Amino acid sequence: MRRILAQARKELIQITRDKLALTLALVLPIALLMLLGSSISLSVTELPLVVQDLDNSAASRSLLEAFRNSLTFHVVAWPVNKPPMEAFTANEARAALIIDRGFGRALARGGDAQAQILIDASDSNTAKLIQGYSSQIVNAWNSTAGGAQRLLPVKALIRLWYNPGRVTKKFYGPGIFVLGLSMFPPLLAALAMSREGEQQTLLQVYVSSIPAHQFLLGKILAFMVIGFAEWVIMLGLLFTYFGLSFAGDPTPFFVASILYFFCVATYGTMIGAAIPSQAAAIQAVALGGFLLVFLLSGLIFPVENIPPGLRWISNFVWGRYYMEIVRDALLEGGGWAAMWFNVLVIGIIGGVFFLLSWRRMRRMQLSI
Amino acid sequence: MTPAEPPSGIGNGAVAIRVAGLQKNYAGVKAVRGIDFEVRKGEIFGLIGPDGAGKTTTFQILAGVMEATAGTATIFNMAAREARQETGYLTQTFSLYPDLTVAENIRYVGDLRLIPRAEIELRGNRYLTMFDMDRFTDRLAGRLSGGMKQKLALACALVAQPQVLLLDEPTTGVDPVSRREFWDTLAHLAIDGLTILVATPYLDEAERCHRVALMHEGTIHQTGTPSELRGSLGAKRLEVHTAALSEAEDVLSGHHDGILDVQRFGDRLDVIVREPVEGQRQVKLLLGAANIAIDSVRVDEPALENTFVATLRAIGREVKSPRYPGLHPHRDIMGQIAIGATNLTRHFGAFTAVQDVSVEVKYGEIYGLLGANGAGKTTTIKMLCGLIEPSTGRMELAGESGSLRSREVRQKLGYMSQKFSLYDDLTISENLNFFGGVYGLSSDEIETKKRWVLEFAGLEGKETALTGSLPGGWKQRVAFGASIMHEPSVLFLDEPTSGVDPLARRAFWRMINQLADMGTAILVTTHYLEEAEQCNRLGFMVAGSIVAEGTPGGVKRAQTGHLIETITTEPQRAADILRTDGERWRISLFGDRIHNVTDGDAETSMRETRATLAAAGIGVLEAREIPWSLEDVFIAVVEKAKREERLAAK
Amino acid sequence: MIAKLFGGRMAALLGKEFAQIGRDKRLRISLILPPTLQLLLFGFALNATVDNLRLGIVDFDHSRESRDLIAAMTQSGAFRSAGAFTSAETLGTGISQGKVDAGIVLPVNFSKDLHRGHQVGVQVLLNAMNANTAAIAQGYTQGVLGTWNQVMLKSGSLHARFTQIGAVPRDLRGIVTLHPAFIFNPGLVSSWFVVTGTFGLLLILNGSLVASAAMVKEREAGTVEQLLMTPAGTGEIIVAKIAPLFVLLCGMVLFATTLIKVVFQIPFRGNLVIVFLGAALCVLCGIAIGTFLATFTRTARQAQLMSFFVNPPLSSLSGALTPVEAMPHWMQPLTILNPIRHFGVITRAALLKGSSIDILWPNILALAAITLVLLSLSVWRFRKQLG
Repeated sequence: MRRILAQARKELIQITRDKLALTLALVLPIALLMLLGSSISLSVTELPLVVQDLDNSAASRSLLEAFRNSLTFHVVAWPVNKPPMEAFTANEARAALIIDRGFGRALARGGDAQAQILIDASDSNTAKLIQGYSSQIVNAWNSTAGGAQRLLPVKALIRLWYNPGRVTKKFYGPGIFVLGLSMFPPLLAALAMSREGEQQTLLQVYVSSIPAHQFLLGKILAFMVIGFAEWVIMLGLLFTYFGLSFAGDPTPFFVASILYFFCVATYGTMIGAAIPSQAAAIQAVALGGFLLVFLLSGLIFPVENIPPGLRWISNFVWGRYYMEIVRDALLEGGGWAAMWFNVLVIGIIGGVFFLLSWRRMRRMQLSI
Repeated sequence: MTPAEPPSGIGNGAVAIRVAGLQKNYAGVKAVRGIDFEVRKGEIFGLIGPDGAGKTTTFQILAGVMEATAGTATIFNMAAREARQETGYLTQTFSLYPDLTVAENIRYVGDLRLIPRAEIELRGNRYLTMFDMDRFTDRLAGRLSGGMKQKLALACALVAQPQVLLLDEPTTGVDPVSRREFWDTLAHLAIDGLTILVATPYLDEAERCHRVALMHEGTIHQTGTPSELRGSLGAKRLEVHTAALSEAEDVLSGHHDGILDVQRFGDRLDVIVREPVEGQRQVKLLLGAANIAIDSVRVDEPALENTFVATLRAIGREVKSPRYPGLHPHRDIMGQIAIGATNLTRHFGAFTAVQDVSVEVKYGEIYGLLGANGAGKTTTIKMLCGLIEPSTGRMELAGESGSLRSREVRQKLGYMSQKFSLYDDLTISENLNFFGGVYGLSSDEIETKKRWVLEFAGLEGKETALTGSLPGGWKQRVAFGASIMHEPSVLFLDEPTSGVDPLARRAFWRMINQLADMGTAILVTTHYLEEAEQCNRLGFMVAGSIVAEGTPGGVKRAQTGHLIETITTEPQRAADILRTDGERWRISLFGDRIHNVTDGDAETSMRETRATLAAAGIGVLEAREIPWSLEDVFIAVVEKAKREERLAAK
Repeated sequence: MIAKLFGGRMAALLGKEFAQIGRDKRLRISLILPPTLQLLLFGFALNATVDNLRLGIVDFDHSRESRDLIAAMTQSGAFRSAGAFTSAETLGTGISQGKVDAGIVLPVNFSKDLHRGHQVGVQVLLNAMNANTAAIAQGYTQGVLGTWNQVMLKSGSLHARFTQIGAVPRDLRGIVTLHPAFIFNPGLVSSWFVVTGTFGLLLILNGSLVASAAMVKEREAGTVEQLLMTPAGTGEIIVAKIAPLFVLLCGMVLFATTLIKVVFQIPFRGNLVIVFLGAALCVLCGIAIGTFLATFTRTARQAQLMSFFVNPPLSSLSGALTPVEAMPHWMQPLTILNPIRHFGVITRAALLKGSSIDILWPNILALAAITLVLLSLSVWRFRKQLG
């Protein structure tokens, strides 16, 4: 135990001496959370929309007015004789609403009046949102001004749970929180470990005859402390700037957090032990910590959207399980019943990482 | 701290380290090829050899951090790995944490070895006080000088109170003053019963071991006490002083019976002869026949280096020094000023790194700049070659005093820094092509010079090997070759021969002399004071200033004091007693002999020493005045300059 | 010829840099592996498609109509049935435990009310944690119910009350039907957007990483002084260092372009020359950023750690992965300064929409200006450091 604590103490002293690493550990997570939390969003507003009203009747003007009044669209004038496609290639509009001649007459007859919306689908998600929003505007117009002002057989009573205002940052905030925890503690742990190999201080450790597990645990403990510090700072930000709070029983979250600190610190240590070059270790951690957690853990889009050929990988991505736990704790409140399996998996992955690093270090001597 | 046993008992104790048939192969390379030796308790045993000899591998096996391919390595009859608690190990890089303080480094090592906290504190303080480092407990290890890092590493190793100390080249990159202090400490520890195995490339350090083994390419060639090894040569060394060194060297180097070896120094030749009287006669005869006047001849014991050279030659390791294909000699400007620095001063913020330094080097001259770490050597050489500008002072370089950074000036300069001169990730051939091309050599000339460099480095047919894969010594030779491909008229060599074996070092110096003979001005820095003997003139730097300057003989003669060697029955206690009434640096212990620097008359001093020691019940077996070595001069000069500085400060 | 032009010295410098880079295995790997991984992972994993949401069903009515509506919901592609629940409470638990993403509750008298002419409210619960998914799912639900209503009305099997029209102005008796048409990407392939954005991202990020490592290498190895003692000028040294990086990274551009075409089948509708021009500028920009970072550091480790401070703002303010229009308003103008943003606009417009240079010149100009500024800044700093 004394050796473990001595090892951890040494690592923490070293961290405080390295200004760049310290900034990386404590300032960067905040910056990342603020920056990504604000910038990652798919809820577009004020999309430029060109309109071509070939009918120019009272009815068509009324429909256009409905589009003008929406927050989603920002209507841009476009000459009637110019193909609307040109507005797309010139990046001046994302959609074009075309009302053909005879629109007003058709409505007055009581029949179906046709309107067309051309959507620039080079951004498919925005295209889908445009489709949804524009049809909602038309439906609303139909039921308030048009002939659909009648009794519909079935009416949808949609209730949005957990995030009724559909506030984007409440969803991405916890995700970036996990991303930060998955990146910086293992990065520093890997650096500390590979530095021992690079600067040959590892020899001194080998000579001291400390067993591999104690040496590893000491290192891991130090970076768990770093992880905890980041956790506190970032959680503070989630509770304030992101307006989140615990939705239910937070104990699975607490237990999982401790296991997660272990998991990521061990991951970094394992990489550092395998790659005795600091520059290469950074790249390896960035790949595992950033790319996997950013892309394969459901941070931006649900894991289910990933094609099955890749999706199976996400079963091994530790960040995925923790992300579900964090979102559950801060949004859904499912508690132990929902999350016990995730907590278990994080513990198992952490244990596997520890075993692998122990296997690598167990002989505590030069491998050649 | 009482001596465990009398010095005469050294070597009779129990066997502490036993190495038998030890072999180690890395991917295809035989690093250690079956070596045997035993080290007894309380002994200082030196493993002497150049880079790539297999010393580090042997140490790593003994420290229990590497497995041997075959053979055994035991410490007190335990397998090395099981004996780790008894072992203290200093790696070449010292394995310190640069971002921890002195105290934190000690505490960490102590904690890992489970030494009680109070004991760590106690022992740590004791050793730091002993090493005169107790003021620096809160300083970061990375901010210590090379000498202090070495002492801290030793303190860390000693905190666990090991029985055996393994020191892998502990004095590399450490200046002569710190080196001498370090060896004094080792002598002290050995007398307390600690067994010390030390590796070093410096042959002068071998003199301070009880026994040494000469190691080369994974094999031990000779083992014995330094005097046994010197004696094994069965030869004497003649110091021949003459003005026409180059010609005399040529005459004597031709094969003559009885003359085993000729080595050129800055102001003399060393000639190894089988028999002193006959040898002397032969030298006089040969030189007389060639009309070369001899100033003086002195007979002395051969140095260990002579033995090592003979050993290496016996196994066919002669290093070639092919004639340098110089196409554009600078003989016409010989004697003109190449480097002329007047009152150079350089400040870094509030710190003055170099103060009022004036250096003058002529074409055809070899100038050696010596100094302890932090004396301002590096800053000076950077100013002299135009890499940094002096804060004040005037510089003249290769006939140019205005813009030293102009392309024309740089075309005339050659520069070789200690270990960073070649690109490790290029092949030898690519490196040479690059340096040839960047200096604008024609492709024919590049080819000629390349052939010469490969021959000089002994790497013919290996030009497609990656430079990074070469052992240090070979790399140094290629780097040296690369830096002179364009035939510079001014050459800067920053520690050119560190890690090179004695034969290769000689080849280096033969080449340096050849260049000087062609009219090249050469400025060289070195830590290796034996080597400094080869310079025509020397400058000693202390605390940013040059405090002494002259020919090697000149600076020795300029010493006002005398050097006394005393052999006693109890060297350690005698040294301790003598130190109590003098300055520490004046006394140093070389095995069983004490060197004492005195400012007064030699006879009086010897009388006083005998009296002092007799009063303490110590018998003096022999006392005599001996000639100054450059190292003695260096230490005396440095210490005196420091004392004056202290006085001035008061 | 070139050797003559530069007096042999430039040739020697270039030869050295090319040989060093050619032997750098890690560099070679980092020019192939990360771009491939990034393109494939970003392209496939960042998929905005909302389909197969797990729908929990509570059907208290068990009638033909209720089953019909459920079938309409689950056959739409947006939802798939995740089983029946016995009550609204168990459905709620299912959502909170993450077993289902959405739920629909059909009340007891569903079919009876329809036949009696009463409007029925069908409760739909959506887990709106992910705002984007919720918005799209909401749209789907509205659409499915709207269509179902139309079908039921046309079949005439419902109560007459539903076909009566309320009091409306005489000229607005009809219904407007909106016909959407998706231009440039009718299949709504999500990767087309992500991949064209990732292209610029990987050029700049990998370019700067490779460049900072190459630039700091000489200083870390300690060979820089040896180099400075040769007659080579600082300008020559910098050009010799940048040239091989530029060539290699242009190789990466070709490789990535091939990947984009072959794996993601993105149509190349416009002029590829514009894209390559932009890519070349991006590569230079990445080199400039890397060089600039390298001048602040002494080791490759520090240079890489520095990139952690630069990369997040560069990538998140680029519009590469999420539309710029979705950012907060105060943030959007900042993207003007981001080379990745301009390159993203160029690739998307030129590849997907076939836009020509007379439309894209402002972006190319902006990209060139940013590159020029960054390059001069970093060369100036690098020279100062060498001098």
